[in-house]
Amino acid sequence: MTVTTATINYTREDQRRDEISYGSPVYNSIMTFLIKEARLLDHRDLKAWGEMLAEDLEYKCPVRMTRRVQQFDEEFGTMGHFDDDHDSMMVRIVRLTTTNNAWSEDPASRVRRFITNVSVWETDEPDEYEVSSYLFLTRNRAEAKDYKQLSAERNDRLRMTKDGFKIVKRSILLDQVVLGMPNLAIFL
Amino acid sequence: MRLNPRKDFMADAMSRLIDTENREVSVAALNDPDLYELELEQIFAKAWLMIGHETEIPNVGDYVVRLMGEDQVIVSRAADSEVHVSLNVCPHRAMHVCLADSGNARVHKCIYHGWAFRPDGSFIGAPVEKEQMHGNIKTKEQLGLKKARVELFGGLIFATWNHEGPSLDEWLGDMKFYYEMLFDRTENGLEVLGPPQRLTIDANWKTAGEQSACDGFHTLTLHGSVIDIGAMGGESDTEHESAPAMYGINLSGNGHSLRCIPADTSWSLAHGKGDLTPDERLEAFPPPGITKELLPELKKKMSAEQLHVLAKAPPVVGGMFPNMNILFIYSPLRDGTLGSALVLHTIMPKGPHQFEWTTYYFAEKGTPENVKVMMRAAATHGTGTSGIIEQDDSDTWPHMTESAKGVIGRTETLKYQAILGENRPADWPDKAKVYEGFGKDDAQWEWWLAYNRLMTADS
Repeated sequence: MTVTTATINYTREDQRRDEISYGSPVYNSIMTFLIKEARLLDHRDLKAWGEMLAEDLEYKCPVRMTRRVQQFDEEFGTMGHFDDDHDSMMVRIVRLTTTNNAWSEDPASRVRRFITNVSVWETDEPDEYEVSSYLFLTRNRAEAKDYKQLSAERNDRLRMTKDGFKIVKRSILLDQVVLGMPNLAIFL
Repeated sequence: MRLNPRKDFMADAMSRLIDTENREVSVAALNDPDLYELELEQIFAKAWLMIGHETEIPNVGDYVVRLMGEDQVIVSRAADSEVHVSLNVCPHRAMHVCLADSGNARVHKCIYHGWAFRPDGSFIGAPVEKEQMHGNIKTKEQLGLKKARVELFGGLIFATWNHEGPSLDEWLGDMKFYYEMLFDRTENGLEVLGPPQRLTIDANWKTAGEQSACDGFHTLTLHGSVIDIGAMGGESDTEHESAPAMYGINLSGNGHSLRCIPADTSWSLAHGKGDLTPDERLEAFPPPGITKELLPELKKKMSAEQLHVLAKAPPVVGGMFPNMNILFIYSPLRDGTLGSALVLHTIMPKGPHQFEWTTYYFAEKGTPENVKVMMRAAATHGTGTSGIIEQDDSDTWPHMTESAKGVIGRTETLKYQAILGENRPADWPDKAKVYEGFGKDDAQWEWWLAYNRLMTADS
């Protein structure tokens, strides 16, 4: 494969800058942001969620592979389930919110996004932070008794602006090689 | 060994499931455990199945593990540099020999008792051979991994368990002429843009299989949102009449199918009305996936007849019987230019009510790297897991399967009665069945006839 553009667009663990401790003002403001983001998405307020995305957004969710344990850190491929920028994300939002024909989410899924294990690091930019969080997501639709579930680690880059934090980068690292849900018509 | 061969039992059932006179298929076909078992034997163990592309395994020892029906196979490039496909089942005690889904290994050693195999599937040996671990009843030649028959076409890896059946050329028949325009049209050929997406859809595999055979009508409603946001042309208030890409040429042969969209339609959607000749248009507006730099290669590799089709109405979507879905479409790129998304899916059954939807993205190797990256993003945006087109399809197929669970629901039928009939334009090649006009059910019905033939075949 000659296409080698890295899908993983965050800093490796051993190259991170200083970690910001749990309970500090910056940490708390980021935690508040992430909880609000999950709430907006769960409530399908996609337009408000769209406002949280930076103009230079990179939103990726690489496919995962099963490798021998020696390659455990090479499990993510160059292809993704998402490979979006700000413009393409806006097209998704317009489709889901302004047409009356977006059937993958009509009737809508009932989704809960549980965000935990939030870590925050400083970056070379004074107003930008790298944030790692765990996502556990349950998705229920129509009269299904059970839930489609998904767990992932998200590696974000957040930028503080005069309008609050914006998501500049998000890499969603799924735990599933074969997704158990039939599509990602929802955002992670 | 089955005491009462399912096939004999089912031969009569098939005639009840498929009504050739009225072009209807019983909904019961979407939920029947016996029928499903027969499909695994008669279709997935007999058909040529596309299971990957050679650019996924460029080096000796590279392998990926794929599905053929519910059987796992190791697809590997062996010391002879050829692609080999071997059942991922140890002949000793049925353990999976390969536990990762991709990697590089010169030796595949079973972790259970240590039997070892080469990438071509041949048996190297077992530990403590002097103590007769593999005995002396069978020779080493007899103890290799079970080998599938393999053929490559445009780098796509096809495999079948049917060692005596038709060659891939015979299997594709007249349709190969058209598939070459997608998969085998440049000097260096296609390459994958990464390992495939894989997801699970709670639906019978045939719901996606038959749709792949040029179901045109669903575009207007199921994908209405994509028309609404202006991505398919036409005016939203008259979309049912005027979505221009609904008029085209459907092709069908041996259950395989492709849909060709007239180049002047695509051209006018992208550039407004023009009066270019077909040759001028081919120059100005090459088929999806072909950049201007690649046009000389295309012209060199394709026959005059194929170039005529590409200039008039290139194939853009369709399928390959039984379980492949094709989209080689124009798509806007993030730099604002009109580019392409080259997408193949396979539909691998996982029981009567579930299948795995696998998605591969491609580009011609000669495409500039930055364009490949944009093509991959465009393909991801439109198709596959989160694709704004295909996420609606994956919502539909489970409902159809659910309908088949009701004792009354399964007495209903799937109807293929929108008949256009064979209708070949005067200047179109005399290859495969040709249906020019508003896309109708003809090619999908041909898919079911191919299904019926395989399900009732003796060998």
